[in-house]
Amino acid sequence: MKKTAALLSISLLAATMAPMMVSAEEASPEGRTEITFWHYMSEDKEGKYVNQAVEEFNNSQDEIWVNAQYLPREELMKQYTIGVVSGELPDVGMVDNPDHNSYASMGVFEDITDLFNSTEGCNFLEGSIGSCYYEGKLYGVPWGNNCLGLFYNKDLLDAAGVEVPTNWSELEAACEALTTDTTYGLAISAIGNEEGTFQYMPWLYSAGGSVTDMTGDGAVKSMEYLYGLIEKGYMSKEVIKWTQADAEKQFASGQAAMMINGPWQFDGIANDAPDLNYGVTLVPKADDGDYASVLGGENIGICAGTEHLDEAWTFITWITSAEKSADICSSIGRYSPRSDVNIQEMFADDPLNSALAAAMDGAVSRGPSPVWPELSAAVYTAEQEIFTGQKDIPTALADAQATIDGLGME
Amino acid sequence: MRKIKKDTVLGYCFILPAVIYMLVFIGYPIIYNWLISMQDVTAKTLGSPVRDFIGLDNFITIFGDATFRASLVHTFVYTIGCLVFQFLFGFIFALFFTKKFSLAKPIRGFIVISWMLPVTVTALVFKFMYADNGIINTILLNLHLIKEPLGWLLDGKMAMVGLIIANSWVGIPFNMLLLTTGLNEIPAEIYEASSIDGANKIQQLFRLTIPLLKQTILSALVLGFVLTFKVFDLVYVMTGGGPVDSTEVLSTYSYKLSFQMFHFGEGAAVANVLFVCLLAVALVYLHVSSSEE
Repeated sequence: MKKTAALLSISLLAATMAPMMVSAEEASPEGRTEITFWHYMSEDKEGKYVNQAVEEFNNSQDEIWVNAQYLPREELMKQYTIGVVSGELPDVGMVDNPDHNSYASMGVFEDITDLFNSTEGCNFLEGSIGSCYYEGKLYGVPWGNNCLGLFYNKDLLDAAGVEVPTNWSELEAACEALTTDTTYGLAISAIGNEEGTFQYMPWLYSAGGSVTDMTGDGAVKSMEYLYGLIEKGYMSKEVIKWTQADAEKQFASGQAAMMINGPWQFDGIANDAPDLNYGVTLVPKADDGDYASVLGGENIGICAGTEHLDEAWTFITWITSAEKSADICSSIGRYSPRSDVNIQEMFADDPLNSALAAAMDGAVSRGPSPVWPELSAAVYTAEQEIFTGQKDIPTALADAQATIDGLGME
Repeated sequence: MRKIKKDTVLGYCFILPAVIYMLVFIGYPIIYNWLISMQDVTAKTLGSPVRDFIGLDNFITIFGDATFRASLVHTFVYTIGCLVFQFLFGFIFALFFTKKFSLAKPIRGFIVISWMLPVTVTALVFKFMYADNGIINTILLNLHLIKEPLGWLLDGKMAMVGLIIANSWVGIPFNMLLLTTGLNEIPAEIYEASSIDGANKIQQLFRLTIPLLKQTILSALVLGFVLTFKVFDLVYVMTGGGPVDSTEVLSTYSYKLSFQMFHFGEGAAVANVLFVCLLAVALVYLHVSSSEE
């Protein structure tokens, strides 16, 4: 009995640990320089396209062998932090763009300003590569972009006789018409982490606010509006613990008629609800405001202390080249961050992607700032305090502003 | 005289590997953590070999931090709540399953499964069960005990109750196992003798079972305290410390400070507060159990 129990618990443990680190490739062939590439594109979704690209690179030449490793995002970020102390960093690593500054300041990434300047054909959108700069030096290049839009269930909208909403009043009216006993009008993610801030920002900026001005009208109006949707029962109270993936599940299962989400969810919806008849449009704007979206996405950089700087750079320039970038980004639900890739042309006959790609114009970037994680925490905490009714809107926002003021940003 | 000395030396040789192991694998991280907690370690200084020594500044900072003070309180509320729950039910189960009836042993085996499951799995399962339309709300609604679904993990106090229930589900079998072992060691004759003397079941419980189980009860409580106090995975997966820090405990707050806010010095200071609390409990336990003997 004891033995069986021990065996059982060990195998259960092993089962939970196994997916943590998955190596994609077999051992490197003799004579090649091996470089490791850490990314967080999950193996069963975007990761397979990343592996395909890496394999293609490995087969395209006989000097360099790239070994791609997947780690869940949180785990990867922790490994970077630990790697700074232990010196165990990969040669090439991926990072979420709002975090890039923090990790650059920590010394995770190599300064590649000179390499970049001496290489031709590195054409990236200004807004995207902006997040790779820290104190005037370049620590990586953008890998892929994304942004947020409004996903709507066409069948439910038709049945309720509702037009696709374009502004807040229309959205609220649509929510009212669409909310039933089993379906909420709208699903968002207001979880207490970066995703919560990311999803709140379009509302904030559309109302004329900014993350550094949390006591302004924009912040008050946007919080009042979103909290109103919850109070009126158009949006579930559970949004405070939903990730964006959870919001997708609500939408795909028909428990939410609309949701705010990004292009990386197209694949998920196709899997969860292949027959779902849905459309995408811009996040509705404040009645007297403009459309706003946030720049999401990843960057890749060369990690500090690598012995294979040139090989790593060769790989990065290959995988972020115009052709490859366009190819990979469209497979993994991202938009190419390159200025020489015409996204609208690429998605000419893809209504979902072209509608969402339109939101990329003028998408607000998060930071860049090494204190972004703390600023973001102040924003999502205020949102959670308001949505749970723990603090009233002015108090929560004033507290957030006090935290932000204390960060000493310029 | 000489012989005793030789034996002593030999004795030290035998414990030497264990001492070295303890120093390297347990002592070093603890000392290193104390060092970090007295240095100014942030994102910028993490990689540099020389960091400013700032004494107790990190500790002063965290004790001035309302979230830290709240998480200290939460950790105690959580631990005491869990201990009361799981000890009480664990004791009742232990008493029940030491009775000789058919299936007693297999059922006891099944109960232990919840203790063997990885905590992450338990946490996810409870997270689903606590959802708005989850099974717990559905059952309570159908029994007409509640009118509206309870927001289990949406309200601070409820989320704490939810965590305590989930952890007790894991802790009850643990207490049951420990107490069962203790119960089996009590000779049956004592009960026979006492019933001949006219003691009823209640008297037997309070006058015989509990006093005879004192050592086991003490171990169960201390071990339970230590295991519960340093909770991380359950809270991290179920609530992430939320909503709005209302279930933040020392371990999750330390993690958040270190790996999300990059205030490594303060994160280490929080971890050291956790360490001191556990050390205090361990010392009390050592004192009590040695004075008993």
